[in-house]
Amino acid sequence: MKKKAKMVNFSLSHKKYVKKLKQDKFIVIFFRIFILVAFLGLWELLTYLNVLDPFFFSSPSRIIAQLGDMIASGTLFHHTWVTLYETLIGFFIATVLGYLIAVLLWWNEKVRKIFEPYIVVLNSLPKIALGPIIILWVGAGTNAIILMCVLISIVITTMTMLSSFVACDEGKILLLKSMNANKFQILWKLILPSSMRDFISVLKINVGMSFVGSIMGEYLTSKAGLGYLIVYGGQIFKIDLVMSATFVLCILAFVMYYLVSLLERIYKK
Amino acid sequence: MNEILKFDNVTYFYQTKDDEIFALDNINFNVFEEEFVSIVGPSGCGKTTILSLIAGLLKPSSGNVYLDGSNKIDTKKIGYMFQRDMLFDWRSVWKNITLGLELQKPKNLDEKLQFAEELLKKYSLYNFKNKKPRSLSGGMRQRVALIRTLVMEPKLLLLDEPFSALDYQTRLSLCDDVYEIIKSEKKTAILVTHDISEAISMSDKIIVLSSRPARIKDEINLDLIGETPLKKREDSSFSGYFEKIWRELTNEEKSENG
Repeated sequence: MKKKAKMVNFSLSHKKYVKKLKQDKFIVIFFRIFILVAFLGLWELLTYLNVLDPFFFSSPSRIIAQLGDMIASGTLFHHTWVTLYETLIGFFIATVLGYLIAVLLWWNEKVRKIFEPYIVVLNSLPKIALGPIIILWVGAGTNAIILMCVLISIVITTMTMLSSFVACDEGKILLLKSMNANKFQILWKLILPSSMRDFISVLKINVGMSFVGSIMGEYLTSKAGLGYLIVYGGQIFKIDLVMSATFVLCILAFVMYYLVSLLERIYKK
Repeated sequence: MNEILKFDNVTYFYQTKDDEIFALDNINFNVFEEEFVSIVGPSGCGKTTILSLIAGLLKPSSGNVYLDGSNKIDTKKIGYMFQRDMLFDWRSVWKNITLGLELQKPKNLDEKLQFAEELLKKYSLYNFKNKKPRSLSGGMRQRVALIRTLVMEPKLLLLDEPFSALDYQTRLSLCDDVYEIIKSEKKTAILVTHDISEAISMSDKIIVLSSRPARIKDEINLDLIGETPLKKREDSSFSGYFEKIWRELTNEEKSENG
């Protein structure tokens, strides 16, 4: 409110500057939409003219028809929900557990040093390699998928948060110590709040990672879900189905990412 | 005047994996109530080590540090102000200056909060109470840091080059501000600095340290006339003191190099 009232008094050059900012923003948004429309239009056109074989490449209109069918039969909602459920649970467990482990490792330097090589190995290990073991241990199905999801995000959560905790300004720790703060107070008043920015980046990374986890899990073992639809569609050469599921996945990922950046905006205020 | 701090044959070694660094060699001095003492010395000589010993962040390798007659340092009696303001970006000015109260939860919390509010008003920061530190200038940030220290009502203030990160202009005026605040709140202060003029203009006593291992080279009592550090710089004996200390420090460097 205050800013707007002030703006009235600004000079012509400022008005020009603001106008240019608006123009730039418009250009960005315009091209974003333009690229999408051009891509879809070209795709539709090329498949319509049979330059691209719609059997292999599908087409926007076929995807829409496919989605329409699936919405009508209720299967779309079911499969989307299954994947979303696995992803959210995996995301939540990995974030909370990974964060807590990072706190624990920060708390005790010796423990941190002991576990360092294990974490490095776990981090570089492709988690998908653990698929068969996971299925043997927790059985095929939702649990295995969620576990895969957790494994993929948890190590990176712990590593990122731990390095953020450890990178905390030594001087500020000294300040708190000079104020007689105990270790818990240092953690609570300084380490955790000062690592909030990194925590939000971790959330953003984990959104992507959790989807990787749940789709990977569904590739390995599933009876439903978007990953299941993709694999199934591929096996029966129904590219429309594969594309439709991928499209829904895009939307889900976008929505989740958007929610996290909403959180970021609230935090920055 | 009462003695508030006493260094009694204090020696300190830093331990590292490959080395043992001899930082302080038999340091003896005392500080009386309401005195402003500066410690000057070549860089890396162990000035900050002395402050850390006073604050109880380090323990002497041998000898004793007595604060208020006791060699068990009560950190509540100490207020430590650092080179950088160390304000927490995510807290408002008010939340920053009441940080210590939040940590120590004193019984007379309401009184202290009121005191904090008074300090803000007195040193014209009240309008910024709910602002985040990033909207303040460097000088204002250091004033907030000083108030954060004063709110705890420490008996002894430790100032570790608190002006060195500021530009010259701000530095001079903040010097005056801090000096005035410390004198009007009747605080005892120990200032560590490498700026000789700053030390002369602010202190009642200057302790000159040698290079590592630090020994006390000289202890100079000053009696400059002037109400503020800036005024004191105009005193006729200012340059004499400056030259004396400057010579002592440069001799030190020569002997170190040669």
